[in-house]
Amino acid sequence: MEEEKKIKRPRGVARLIVGKCIACGARCEASCNKDAIEMNAKGEPVINTAKCIGCRKCVKVCPAEAIEMYFTPEEQKILAEIAAREKKAGVKEVSTEEAATLAEIKEYKGVWVFVEHNEGVPAVVSWELLGAGAELTKKLGVELCSVVIGDKVENLCQESIACGASKVYVIDSPVFHYYRTEAYYKAICYLVDKYKPEIMLIGATGLGRDLAGAVATKLSTGLTADCTGLAIDDKGFLLQTRPAFGGNIMATILTERTRPQMATVRPHVMPMPTYDKSRKGEIIREAVPIKEEEIAAKVLEVVEDAKSGAECVDLEGAEVIVSGGRGMKAKENFALLQQLADELGGVVGCSRAVVEAKWMPVDRQVGQTGKTVRPKIYIACGISGAIQHLVGMQSSDVIIAINQDKQAPIFEVATYGIVGDVFQVVPALIKGIKESRGKT
Amino acid sequence: MLVVTFVKQVPDTTQVKVDPVTGTLVREGVPFIMNPFDVHALEESLRLKDKYGFRVIVLSMGPPNTEVTLRKALALGADEAILLSDRVFGGADTLATSAVLAEATKKLAQKEEIAIVMCGKQTIDGDTAQVGPGIATRLGYPQLTLVDLIVNVDLQAKKVKVRRRLEGRYEIVESPLPSLISILRRANRPRYPVVPRRLMAQDAPVELWNNKVMGLKEDTIGLKGSATQVRKIFSPERTKGEILGDGANKPEETAKLLIDKLLAKNIICLK
Amino acid sequence: MSVNVAVFIPVLVIAAALFIWSCFRRFRLVLLGKPANRFRNIGKRVKSMIYFAFGQRCTVNHGYKFGLNHLVLFWCFMILLIANTEFLLHGLSPNVISFSRLTHGVYYPLAYIFDVLSVLALASVIIAIIRRLVFPPYYIQARSRDAFTILGLIAVLMLAFFSLHGTEIAQGKEIAAKYMPISNAFSHIFSGASAGTLGAYANAFWWLHAVVLLSFLNYLPYSKHMHILTSIPNVFFRSTTKVNTQLPEEFKKGNTFGVGQVNQFSWKDLFDSYSCTECGRCSNMCPATYTGKLLNPRLVIHDIKVNLLKNGPLIAQSKATNMPLIGGGQEGSIADEVLWACTTCGACMEVCPVFIEHVPKIVDMRRNLVEMKAKFPTELLPFFENIEQRSNPWGIVPSDRIKWAADLNVKPFEAGKTEYLFYVGCFGAFDARSRKVTLSIAQILNTAGISWGILGKDELCCGDSLRRLGNEFVFDRMARDNVKIFKDRGVKKVITECPHCYNTLKNDYHQYGIELDVIHHTELLNNLIKSGKLSLNGSKDLGNVVFHDSCYLGRYNNIYEAPRQAVTSVTHRVPTEMERNLEKSFCCGAGGGRMWMEESTGKRIDVERVEQALAKNPSTICVCCPYCLTMFEDGLKDKKADEKVQVLDLAEIVAGALKK
Ligand SMILES: Cc1cc2nc3c(=O)[nH]c(=O)nc-3n(C[C@H](O)[C@H](O)[C@H](O)COP(=O)(O)OP(=O)(O)OC[C@H]3O[C@@H](n4cnc5c(N)ncnc54)[C@H](O)[C@@H]3O)c2cc1C
Ligand SMILES: Cc1cc2nc3c(=O)[nH]c(=O)nc-3n(C[C@H](O)[C@H](O)[C@H](O)COP(=O)(O)OP(=O)(O)OC[C@H]3O[C@@H](n4cnc5c(N)ncnc54)[C@H](O)[C@@H]3O)c2cc1C
Ligand code: SF4
Ligand code: SF4
Repeated sequence: MEEEKKIKRPRGVARLIVGKCIACGARCEASCNKDAIEMNAKGEPVINTAKCIGCRKCVKVCPAEAIEMYFTPEEQKILAEIAAREKKAGVKEVSTEEAATLAEIKEYKGVWVFVEHNEGVPAVVSWELLGAGAELTKKLGVELCSVVIGDKVENLCQESIACGASKVYVIDSPVFHYYRTEAYYKAICYLVDKYKPEIMLIGATGLGRDLAGAVATKLSTGLTADCTGLAIDDKGFLLQTRPAFGGNIMATILTERTRPQMATVRPHVMPMPTYDKSRKGEIIREAVPIKEEEIAAKVLEVVEDAKSGAECVDLEGAEVIVSGGRGMKAKENFALLQQLADELGGVVGCSRAVVEAKWMPVDRQVGQTGKTVRPKIYIACGISGAIQHLVGMQSSDVIIAINQDKQAPIFEVATYGIVGDVFQVVPALIKGIKESRGKT
Repeated sequence: MLVVTFVKQVPDTTQVKVDPVTGTLVREGVPFIMNPFDVHALEESLRLKDKYGFRVIVLSMGPPNTEVTLRKALALGADEAILLSDRVFGGADTLATSAVLAEATKKLAQKEEIAIVMCGKQTIDGDTAQVGPGIATRLGYPQLTLVDLIVNVDLQAKKVKVRRRLEGRYEIVESPLPSLISILRRANRPRYPVVPRRLMAQDAPVELWNNKVMGLKEDTIGLKGSATQVRKIFSPERTKGEILGDGANKPEETAKLLIDKLLAKNIICLK
Repeated sequence: MSVNVAVFIPVLVIAAALFIWSCFRRFRLVLLGKPANRFRNIGKRVKSMIYFAFGQRCTVNHGYKFGLNHLVLFWCFMILLIANTEFLLHGLSPNVISFSRLTHGVYYPLAYIFDVLSVLALASVIIAIIRRLVFPPYYIQARSRDAFTILGLIAVLMLAFFSLHGTEIAQGKEIAAKYMPISNAFSHIFSGASAGTLGAYANAFWWLHAVVLLSFLNYLPYSKHMHILTSIPNVFFRSTTKVNTQLPEEFKKGNTFGVGQVNQFSWKDLFDSYSCTECGRCSNMCPATYTGKLLNPRLVIHDIKVNLLKNGPLIAQSKATNMPLIGGGQEGSIADEVLWACTTCGACMEVCPVFIEHVPKIVDMRRNLVEMKAKFPTELLPFFENIEQRSNPWGIVPSDRIKWAADLNVKPFEAGKTEYLFYVGCFGAFDARSRKVTLSIAQILNTAGISWGILGKDELCCGDSLRRLGNEFVFDRMARDNVKIFKDRGVKKVITECPHCYNTLKNDYHQYGIELDVIHHTELLNNLIKSGKLSLNGSKDLGNVVFHDSCYLGRYNNIYEAPRQAVTSVTHRVPTEMERNLEKSFCCGAGGGRMWMEESTGKRIDVERVEQALAKNPSTICVCCPYCLTMFEDGLKDKKADEKVQVLDLAEIVAGALKK
């Protein structure tokens, strides 16, 4: 035994795996205590092997697994030997550091879901989060709670329970009639400080992201944005998966050292829980001493889109655009597209040919000399896909093309293409959507 | 009075491609640009400058080559540029980023009164939209996120009125100065730099603030001050273009096929 | 006849002094302009002056019927200038200077010539008046007071001439009476009068003639007929090469860019404005004017002159100007919209009889708008940014430049290994329609065994549109980048698909120290066919092929024949010509950066051109330019004629006829 201990474990040096770095923002450089890493102009590390002591910090910190440890063949031999021995002896290294933080965060328990609403009308995503939260609590063996803040929001407490919350923390006061960051984040921080949840989920809506950023900063804890996947790892940590880089990559993010683990979660992604009015839960009423005068920002007016009139369609801000081209044949046929757009909560756009033919006003034109749009869904009906049109819509998340001509260049950029007659396919789509909606 | 504007230099992620074979990001030849949202934030600041005579200072935290982006801001009309760059700032998540940016703002506030802190809604690389709220909370300023219109600034009453865009509605909000505003892309059409300013910006001074200047505790900034850890990065399942079914002869069936795909991939939601 | 010399001398001196002073006042303003070297190549200049000014080549060319009228008037005027000089000198010293003192052998023919030319002049003046009254051309302000004043003065001058000589003949004082048929005829009017009355008449007519002549002289500098004084020198100072490029700018701190104030033009530009004859041919040819845009090239030149006259004296005294050069409504002499309407097609310059250079002026003013004020149509903002960031107009990822070659085995260009660089261009690389043209060219090159390669994703945009749009700053950087690549890679011979790339590489880039051997694909194809390197076996029937000239090939670079010959070789039929073809071809509407702007005023140029083509009943329209291709296809769809008529690039026509 004595003799064996003398073998020094080779530490190796860090090495960049070509092509894997994503220029995440110099995590490796920052992690290196020995200044052995410098970033180049491309944002990739250049490792100074003379300075590297083989501490592996950069390897651990690199999200893209772009750094590995390099061992000379001799070193590899030694490593293999050590590994063989350790296997025999059954030794496993446990870092003491890790153990300490684990102990510190143990106090925090339970999964919380923030119930978002607009003057008492709940956002669907809140219920989806209760659905997702239920999965997590099952794995962790803890309680699922909801947080309701507002003015006369008793009904939301009941709904939360029906959607699966076993506890509801509610703060009900006129100060919370409108959402204002300052009032809301203070209320939440108050609850968190008092009840210490380990996970806090908020919908990744405009409101939710506004709120979560403030809360996490105040609590000095980690916040993961716009998650599309949640899971629990073997240590009981929340694995938060989210798209980044404009959807080009997915990242799995952890908040290891601080609590609560906060995440905003993308709407429509998580499953709805089963709604059960008969469920029972506990309602815990709290009050925070926030006075109206203390809130700096005042909401002067809220204008619902429905009331603001349809004349000013907002192509650039729309999430769904149904666009028609010359293939629509006549002005009247755009009513069909409007119908489809209404089904999907979108607006109608068009190609220049359509503006030229005076079927649509010029403010609906998408393309080089029209608007540049980036909706989540762009449906091109009877549009050939001239480059002047493509340039205005090619960065849409999902492009659906419906065109008779399978050679049409629009199919080159389409995520889904349907070769067919718009006058058959579009009505079929409208019908199909109506049917599907009826089902759920 | 100052409008402090934050801009981030980001890789042009729309040019990033995923190698279909290895599944890794192909970043070769992808240039760094000013985060597109920040271009609009800067434009909004410059409009305030034109209208109310504010001074516009741009700040960016990033590696030394971020200077290029700051020079672009100077060319567009910013009055001063400050680069926050230090090895210890690197690897920051949004918590640690807002720590540095908020401290830098405080430093500026000591010398000149701040009217507005302006930032973009989000970046196109980190995509979090969390830094703005982070800065505001740290400074104790009211935060006005998702703004698509600055209605006016009342210098007498020291108030700003903005329009915020939320799901399905607009909100008109009034807030005292200084406030933090995060800007949507649709707020404006950015200007184009005139040549004399471009020439001026080529060798205008860009101040460097490293941690010697900032003097921040290392466990609150950079990698050490970050609460989140990116454990893994992988490429998403890509939906390459596909032609569905037989739309010409079976339109109904093909439409169904499409709807099912969209539902399965959470692209649409018919709840 | 005895003229009162004592009265005449002061009159003449005052008139002459006034005239000289007017001229001085005007021409002094020209010198406010920036320097421009227009003195090199004196021999060539003199020659062109003789050919074009004295030969009135341009006036008569281009099928302008009334050009002949001008030719007559011009020459009458030149010769009568001698007669009138004699007239004035004679008035000073009646007994010393007079043609009548010459030998009869000289004097009689002179008298005859003057008499006949005077009536010719009178006739052409009357024709001009009638034309203006009865069928005025739309493209000039035919009924301006200015025009009638001048024509009236000339007519009165001629009538005074005949009357003067008529009375002299009646008095029996004219020895050459027999040789002066018209004056002789006039003399009959006075035949009954007494000697005293005749003397009085003669005196009166002499004074009428003198006063009208001197008035005419003094009126000149204040009217459009200043061109009588300036046009000949203007032809002398004309550009000795085709006006197909733009002068570069120097990007130094403290400089101003483009022309925002009239003295920022070169002196030649200002002189141009004085030389305009207001013939309106430029406007007649201009596709923008024709389709109802605000732009009218004649007025651009005129407005520069008006602005110079207004601001010049103030600028000369370093005072603030009171009328901006550029600005819409009442704000400036030339509206922004006017400047953005130009397609830089060059039709105006082609027909201008005095070689006024419209396009460089328009581009110079655009430069000022873009570079100093960042004022331009909003559609151009993404265009400028895309080009700057991604070196193509649409902001497509640069690595997609090689997509067109995905299924081909295309070599990268390597000096020594490949002879030609095929410079594909943005349209050829990115636009789905133009990619077919690119593939056709590639196929032809391979068939002919040409050794060629591409730059692939390292190819940059040539920057043509930027330069024409006045974004010289970014053009300058792109030109430098391109030239560096060409030099680094050892590129010598370049094939281009697009006439705009062709012109830029050939005519713009030599300002950046590179002389490339650039060849447009139309020329190359024609050469390959002629030298037998391509064997054609007739294509599928293309029907009636109508040919459209690209401005940047034809007018800019004199390539008219190559594409026509190539079409003929394929179809064995000469392509059908449109009404407006060759030098007078009508732009497709996309040049000068118009491709990137919306066209909301008037009729769309492409639609107009397509109608002109449809008038010839084509089955196929042959183009040689990706811009023209886009515009024709769009226009045809608009006219719902795209089912009957196809648009093909010459390369596609040739590739379709290759022996399989
Ligand atoms: C300077 C300039 C600027 C331009 N800017 C823009 C711009 O901003 N935006 C823009 O869109 N265009 C622009 N264009 C025009 C562009 O070049 C194209 O002409 C235009 O986009 C074509 O419109 P389209 O696809 O609707 O028509 P078409 O090209 O005529 O295509 C119609 C398509 O409909 C299909 N179709 C026909 N009937 C049916 C049916 N029953 N069912 C299914 N499919 C059918 C056909 O197969 C065809 O593919 C610009 C052009 C120029 C010159
Ligand atoms: C793949 C990936 C995923 C990530 N996910 C998370 C995550 O979920 N949670 C998290 O906390 N961090 C995350 N990060 C880290 C985060 O990207 C960085 O902290 C970054 O510095 C700031 O976040 P952002 O880019 O999202 O900025 P956003 O919050 O989207 O930016 C909003 C605005 O803040 C300003 N701003 C942001 N950064 C700077 C800067 N450096 N200099 C000047 N102004 C600036 C700009 O005006 C910007 O428009 C992730 C990083 C990567 C690479
Ligand atoms: S270049 Fe063409 S479009 Fe421009 S003014 Fe001359 S004729 Fe008109
Ligand atoms: S610019 Fe030339 S063509 Fe045009 S009106 Fe004047 S002289 Fe005639």
